Amino acid sequence: MPTQEQETIEKRVFVDMDRCIECGSCAAACYYSHADMPAVQQARAGWALLPVICRQCKSAPCVDVCPAEAMVRDDQGVVRRRLFRCIGCGSCARACPFGVITTTLGGTPVAWKSPDRLTGHQVAKCDLCADRLSEHPDAVPRCVAACPAGALVFVDARAAPAEGIKVVGGRTAAEDFYKRR
Amino acid sequence: MPGAEESRDVRSRCVLCPAGCELGLAPSGPDRWRTAYPLTDDAGLCARGSVVGELLGHRRRILDPAVHEDGSRRRVGPDDALRAVLDAAGEKTLTVLLDGNLPCEQLAEAVARLDAWPAGRLCLVVEPVDRELLLGTEESGADYLRNDGLADCDGFLLVGDVFAANPLCARPVLDRHRAEPRTPIAALDPAGGAVVKFASHRVDVAPGGELAALRALAAAAGLNVDAPDVPSAAAAGAALADCERLGVLLAAECARTDNWRAIGRLAGDLAKARGGGVAVQTNGANALAAVRVEAAEGTIPLADALADESDVKVAVGCDVVGMLGRDDVAVAAAAAALPNRTTQAAGIVLPLALPGEYGGTYLLDGARPAEVGPLIDPPAGIETAAALVAALARAAGAAEPAPRTQDIVPGRVAGGDAPAETPAAEHASLVLVLARRAADGGCGALTGHASWRTSVDPLPELAMAPDDAEQAGLSNAAEVTVETDRGQLRARVRLAPEVRPGVCVLPEGLPAARALVSSELDPDHHRVVAPPRPVTVSE
Repeated sequence: MPTQEQETIEKRVFVDMDRCIECGSCAAACYYSHADMPAVQQARAGWALLPVICRQCKSAPCVDVCPAEAMVRDDQGVVRRRLFRCIGCGSCARACPFGVITTTLGGTPVAWKSPDRLTGHQVAKCDLCADRLSEHPDAVPRCVAACPAGALVFVDARAAPAEGIKVVGGRTAAEDFYKRR
Repeated sequence: MPGAEESRDVRSRCVLCPAGCELGLAPSGPDRWRTAYPLTDDAGLCARGSVVGELLGHRRRILDPAVHEDGSRRRVGPDDALRAVLDAAGEKTLTVLLDGNLPCEQLAEAVARLDAWPAGRLCLVVEPVDRELLLGTEESGADYLRNDGLADCDGFLLVGDVFAANPLCARPVLDRHRAEPRTPIAALDPAGGAVVKFASHRVDVAPGGELAALRALAAAAGLNVDAPDVPSAAAAGAALADCERLGVLLAAECARTDNWRAIGRLAGDLAKARGGGVAVQTNGANALAAVRVEAAEGTIPLADALADESDVKVAVGCDVVGMLGRDDVAVAAAAAALPNRTTQAAGIVLPLALPGEYGGTYLLDGARPAEVGPLIDPPAGIETAAALVAALARAAGAAEPAPRTQDIVPGRVAGGDAPAETPAAEHASLVLVLARRAADGGCGALTGHASWRTSVDPLPELAMAPDDAEQAGLSNAAEVTVETDRGQLRARVRLAPEVRPGVCVLPEGLPAARALVSSELDPDHHRVVAPPRPVTVSE
């Protein structure tokens, strides 16, 4: 079974704060592509409305706390939620230091002990559209493909400084995904 | 596996705005679809385009004709439904209110059918504010800029929230700004939309004062026009005065000003004078074609059709009741793909094909004719709007039209007299305006059925300036009642410092919001107007 020791994925989704027009296209793309269990949502940061996307933490608290081993880092280094193991306890949502894993969408419960789901107990989690990444080396997650303003980019986090990207924020659980050039 | 589905997806273009973004379709269940995105291309597809897939297999789809009798709906056959429409018309003239955002082929077919039908007449329905704005830009003779051509501009004037109207047009503007950070970007949007965030110069103007501000800006930018005193506009104009290729992006929004035609004309004149062009971000992809067809073929303007109460009206593909926010529009029959306010009000309801189920020619991306193919076929027995009009004409015994000899792509509207101008009215302390939103198309007749919208927005969002909220004793996220002389609705407050004090903003894509600022007829100028409304907001 993949473990926390697995290498993290090199590429991450970054949000270019100077380009986000708050249109919600990323959230809509995620919603419609993940069977109504969206992992990308919008949230207010001060006056700005920004996409909230999983940072694929190097040391992921959601993986550590999951009592059912549903949260794992897969072969590609992506932290994923294994559908049939998730019991919907919400531990990952509480452990996430960035509030990325949630059980509601705009105040409405989403896939949270929903009777029409297969298990009835699931939490949505961004897997960077792993089905696409496995299909093509240059594939991008759907939120990135949908972003009309070019605010979301899927790039190698280590190359960010070389590309003139200044990653803002000082939290250490993972790379901060807000950037400015 | 979704990836595998995407590899065999069907590709076409979204026709919910003039950007015409490429999109695909992938199955998501029996008779269910979802929008698919290219694997490696990040060209973009806004929230509106993402909705298209769900709409094509929507559970609320109207699949059978029905007649409203004694408070209940009775299913009828297609021929019986057409006969019921004609019986309702009797000896009266039958006015077809046809969605203007259909492909050029369907517009031409409908014009030909109604020409050959003496008892029928045609009205092409686009958003009234879009129609006025397009008439202005057409009359100005300014070039229409393609989206990728915007990156070559050395200055931008953004009128209305063009980034919400067409999110894709933000990319070349921001590309240019990144390459040349000193590129001036002037924004004129009293509702403080997304454009304000990126503006180097914000024009501070109250709703209704847009034309005066634009005039001051144009004068400062070198155009020979009377210049009222609007300091922020003059500063923005001075910043644009050195531009050699000015990109003017325009989006007409409801409940702002009655002067969209004059704004379009002046904006076009300014763009021409500064070596650039205009990019008009309308609701729907083919509003420009509809405006041109109306001018060329003499179809009846919407205001004239509504003012005439001696006829019987049939709405085909347009939610005229929701769009105008008026329940007093008498519509005998309505054809639509999904339920809307017009189908609720009509006595006879007919099914209709959705965009994505038919193809044709649209004026996309800088008014260039573009062929758009269908994504899928419509459900069995469901017609396109033009085919429905043809069936109605045949049932009425109208002659078959002569084969069309002119080009189906209409030509430009010729310049006319100076458009009418309405002086800015004095407003109450708080007025309600509506704003475009990237997730909505028009009044939301189609996109309002998207499950994502209803999940995200259980309550509409009312944006207001923090000072106004404080005065009213309201906090962020408070649930409030928004009330005008036309009605009321419940909303959730969002404190928005970018919104001008004295202004409250609701999304334009909600029929309930449209009803609060319901449109008025201006028969003297053959137009429909929707000025800002005084409003009260209370918990």
